[in-house]
Amino acid sequence: MSRKIILVAALGILFVMFFLSMEEMEDLFKNDAKLYFFEHGLDDTGSSNLITAILLDYRLFDSLFEAGILLVAVSGVIWISRHDFEERNAHFMLDKYKTPELFVTLSRFVFPLLLMLGFFIILNGHLTPGGGFQGGAVVATAILLLYYINLERKTDISLIVAVVKFAYLGIVLTASISLITRGEIFTNFMAVDAPTMSKYIYIIALDILIGINVALCLWAIFTAFLKEGR
Amino acid sequence: MIYVPAFLVLIPVVTGILILMFRNERMYLLAFLAQTLITVLAVSYFFVFRDDFASGAFVLGGWPEHIGITLANDRLSMSFIFLTILLWWVVLFYKYEPRKTDHSFLFFFLFLQGVFFGLLQTNDLFNLFVFIELTTIVATVLVGFKKTGSSLRAAIYYLLINTSGILMFLIGVLLLYNVFGTINLLHIRDNMEAMDSERLVQLAYILMMAGISIKAAIFPVYTWLPKAHGAAQSAVSALLSGLIVKSGVYLFIRMNQMFAALSLDYVDFFFIIGALTAIVGVVFALSQKDIKQILAYHTVSQVGIVFMGLAQVDAMTAHGGLLHAFHHGMFKSLLFLCAGVIIKVYRTKNVSEIRGVMKTMPFVSAMMIIGMLSITGAPLFNGYISKSIIKYGIEANPFQYAALFAVNIGTAASFIKASQIFFGEKPLSYAVKKRPPYVALAILSILCLVFGVFFAPLSDFFFTVDISHVSILSARGILEYALYLIAGYLIFRLIIKKDGSLIQRLRGFRPSFETANYVFVLYMAAMALHFIVL
Amino acid sequence: MNPVLTFIVVLIGLYGLATSKNIIKSVFCVTIIESGVILLFLNFANYEGGAIPIVSEDVAAIVDPLPHALMITTIVIGSAVTALALIICIKVFHHYGSTEWAQILRREDVK
Repeated sequence: MSRKIILVAALGILFVMFFLSMEEMEDLFKNDAKLYFFEHGLDDTGSSNLITAILLDYRLFDSLFEAGILLVAVSGVIWISRHDFEERNAHFMLDKYKTPELFVTLSRFVFPLLLMLGFFIILNGHLTPGGGFQGGAVVATAILLLYYINLERKTDISLIVAVVKFAYLGIVLTASISLITRGEIFTNFMAVDAPTMSKYIYIIALDILIGINVALCLWAIFTAFLKEGR
Repeated sequence: MIYVPAFLVLIPVVTGILILMFRNERMYLLAFLAQTLITVLAVSYFFVFRDDFASGAFVLGGWPEHIGITLANDRLSMSFIFLTILLWWVVLFYKYEPRKTDHSFLFFFLFLQGVFFGLLQTNDLFNLFVFIELTTIVATVLVGFKKTGSSLRAAIYYLLINTSGILMFLIGVLLLYNVFGTINLLHIRDNMEAMDSERLVQLAYILMMAGISIKAAIFPVYTWLPKAHGAAQSAVSALLSGLIVKSGVYLFIRMNQMFAALSLDYVDFFFIIGALTAIVGVVFALSQKDIKQILAYHTVSQVGIVFMGLAQVDAMTAHGGLLHAFHHGMFKSLLFLCAGVIIKVYRTKNVSEIRGVMKTMPFVSAMMIIGMLSITGAPLFNGYISKSIIKYGIEANPFQYAALFAVNIGTAASFIKASQIFFGEKPLSYAVKKRPPYVALAILSILCLVFGVFFAPLSDFFFTVDISHVSILSARGILEYALYLIAGYLIFRLIIKKDGSLIQRLRGFRPSFETANYVFVLYMAAMALHFIVL
Repeated sequence: MNPVLTFIVVLIGLYGLATSKNIIKSVFCVTIIESGVILLFLNFANYEGGAIPIVSEDVAAIVDPLPHALMITTIVIGSAVTALALIICIKVFHHYGSTEWAQILRREDVK
């Protein structure tokens, strides 16, 4: 009991510190970066969606490793979930669950719509809210609905992971083409003063690759968990 | 040439993916090739920009500095890069077996190297967060790589506590972004004096230091380290203890450079924390019987010594702390690799069961003795140099000096205990078939000696700091070392060998996960009270 | 929403980490802290009257896009951490037959 009181007191100290420092916050916020993005974002990168502009151009290095983190997570999950030797309680989770009929019917209806929405989000990342990461997650959700429609469905994880590796290498390659065309590393391979339309090529290509990467990674992770359950 | 920092990050990552794609017998050669390429690039980069590292900084994509991600190096990060390259070479040699390539291991192993290069070179706080988190994830997989119960247990403990620490770091980044309008480390450092909100920046400092403390495994939040390093396979333990723990030390130096203009009094606080870390690590190491646990607890205590050096106003003593981090990277990896060979042959980790290593494996035991002499701080070995610099810096203060002295005696006692394994006779019922990894062990032990003898020109070359005032064969140094050994032997004979109830209780002490987090919250609150209220 | 309120979410996560005795609960507490951090970021970026950061002719003032972009990265990292933690959790359960921290720390490795 005394332990919890001390814990709450310690958290209270942190809270008070935060509360007091927030008072200074009011007129402090520096918005140099925001103004820069607002003024130059469209001209620099060709993307009117500034978040996509930051993800795919200004801070592409982050996004590269964001996709890389998914690759590592997938490889790690698959490595750890592989049954190399006998475990003691491995038989406990048998799939006795049956999906309700209504859910299956609805899933059949929703599946194509969700897939379309996902592709739309991926392809229009530069104009509307969205992009590779968000659209990839939606596509992955659509694919996962297939598992509800058919519980016996079998998926070859190693094939998915092989495609993911190619997609990741594709992202790295697309990102580094600019080293040859412009002499700058990790940016749009079209020149800064190129027409906006030609800059779209790069953004859409990268968005599609990232979308593939994210969708397949989430799919593989989910399948690994399902296998663990069966 | 200017893009070398980016290539250093990309080459290992892409090589790792290629190895995983084409699971081929010859893929080990590709790893060696990538290592050679990285070595050549890093060395030539060092020679080109040796006089002016600031001119080597560049923004990815060519955007303005406060918008894009800057990669930059200085002598500190370059030295860490060289240590990384060295340890990765050593482990590659150590793991090399013809016709038996473990592709998954190589993938995670090379990915970790690329990510670690990124962590060392980036000058952007959020990018730093991404790399720290990636290091954590890859290290988690490597810790749990054997998939035994204990290694998985250690892996999840490691993953969760490090992630919660790093999220605190991220809150600090957010506060700094709001104050300065940028997350470029150098810009923040330059604007630190002109800022108008001291309280917010102090809070950011506390939260970031809390995250870094978990990474560096210092006193109240060190509990993940013995578990993770004891449970992983020996090659991974060598990397984690030798290098990945040092990411905490590196970030500690970087962040204190960044917050330098804030003039926070971090010296006293972190000295006390460092001293506690060193003493607690030694006490637990004395109680252990598992050889890898002993080495892991010694990592804790040596990181404590590093912090004792770093938390000093005097620049020379701080340099001693940094140097000790490098020397520790060499001798601790050597010890872990030797222990790995011994464990593999004897099929047990218990120090009191392994006997007669000197007869069965003379080469490995010679290498291990070199590592032990280094870690206890014998003259002519590298541990002596850095410990002496720290000793000169703090000997004016009797309490600080006594703390260092006690830690040295404890280390000597603990390794006298561990050196039992060399003596005695224990005939193995089977013949030792495998050849020990000569190259890997020889490289490290030779470097331990080289850095112990030619320390002055080497320090001048890497850091441009003159440490020629340390004399290797002074009477005082030899006498003190003899004193450590005698006191250590007495402690071993009188206390450790009896294995009393106190020691047994210490050995069984295993703080659970919620206790570790409880202590972490208390640690943050204590920092808040110390830095803001007092 | 007030940033102070979202900081409470972080503190709740910390409280949970320091008291929960189950691995799965600990994983969830880490995700709670992470959600708190994400909300905190978005709170600071947001202000009254700021439009979504998409440039068009009739937009005069936008909210700061940088925190939004950073948070996408954080969400992806968080999902990777959660996936890895849960799979290790399942494996630990297979080995020890329990997901309580105290029990799995007490039981010696069987193999």
